[in-house]
Amino acid sequence: MDKLHLEVIQPFKIRISSDFDHIIVPGVDGDFGIDINHTPFITKIRPGILQLYKGNQIEKYAIHDGFVTVENNMIKIICEVVEKTNEINVKRAASSKERAEKRLKSSADDIDFRRAEVSLKRALVRLELGSK
Amino acid sequence: MATLKEIRNRIESVKNTRQITNAMRMVAASKLRKAQENILKARPYADYINDMLKTLKLKNKTTTHPLLVDVPEEGRIAFVIVTSDRGLCGSFNSQIIREAHKYIKQNPHADIICLGKKGFDYFKKHSRKITDSYTGLFNEMDFSVSKNVAEKLLDLYLEENYIKIDVLYNEFKSAIQQNITVKQLLPIIPIESDEVTTLDFIYEPDEDIIIEELGRKYVHVDIWRIMLESSAAEQGARMTAMDSATDNAAELIDVLTLYFNRARQAAITKEIIEIASGAEAIQ
Repeated sequence: MDKLHLEVIQPFKIRISSDFDHIIVPGVDGDFGIDINHTPFITKIRPGILQLYKGNQIEKYAIHDGFVTVENNMIKIICEVVEKTNEINVKRAASSKERAEKRLKSSADDIDFRRAEVSLKRALVRLELGSK
Repeated sequence: MATLKEIRNRIESVKNTRQITNAMRMVAASKLRKAQENILKARPYADYINDMLKTLKLKNKTTTHPLLVDVPEEGRIAFVIVTSDRGLCGSFNSQIIREAHKYIKQNPHADIICLGKKGFDYFKKHSRKITDSYTGLFNEMDFSVSKNVAEKLLDLYLEENYIKIDVLYNEFKSAIQQNITVKQLLPIIPIESDEVTTLDFIYEPDEDIIIEELGRKYVHVDIWRIMLESSAAEQGARMTAMDSATDNAAELIDVLTLYFNRARQAAITKEIIEIASGAEAIQ
């Protein structure tokens, strides 16, 4: 049976290069699953959890940004940050969540809301995966 | 003629200098290797973004997205000059500055942005207006540092209505050879490649957003590569410069040692003559 080949490429290394049966990617317009013979597709990734299924095993990664392309069962993801459960610093994520929430609540003008929001989302993803 | 003690001191000091230049040569060699490794590691990422942008550009030939348009005839130009932060690297910076002058002659109204302390110091001293500068980045270089620079350049380009941003930098060829290059950073020109897919992708959310985000990433990785290339070239130049400095020091030590021996011999001869003539006088 055919498999999906996944490559996760970071600016300084190829993080994952391996075959999977089924992949779930957090896209900007919602999570979507990729099976064999998916239609050619490009989308942006939002902070979320990347799920990779191989047989009855499942690997989970926190992913924060980037793009995914699907083309002839070849899936390529480019991203700057991708973390496995054991690489997540839960303490740090919790404190950055607090910081981001505080920033979003404050009404000062010089606050970059977009950045605070992104960092809150990242922290939430890290916490969700890290505390499992 | 210098006294024995003076020559001995001189030899000691040249020996110390040789030790320092030799150490610098070795440090430069290891930094060079690291930068080279990073250039290689960044390649798959850069190639992939390039291929995607190429596909997008082919599909949207008439795109008006500012990151991918053709350069208009008239307008403001920003000129980024990449030099090193530190000296002792031979003619590395002076070559860049010479090329920069040529470019400025052709485009007298270009706004100057300095990346690296040496270029900044030079243009400040020669009272050129510097639009922006980033210094002290090469020591602690990682992707997030270069990403910040890239974001600032992108904002500058999009908000200040520049028609293009050119970058002048030293491209790394080999440890002894650098190649000074002017590269158009923005708008982006995807590099020709064979791996362009003709597949009709579905783009989500829509193509303009993908172009924008992908274009930004392209510039991030481009700046990263430029900084790595420049840093590798700098270390290469430093290695060569320190290598010849070490050789020169060794040569100087040889010459000084010869003088020292001559002076010592002369002193001994003189003493013997004195003793001999003293003995003769007694007889």
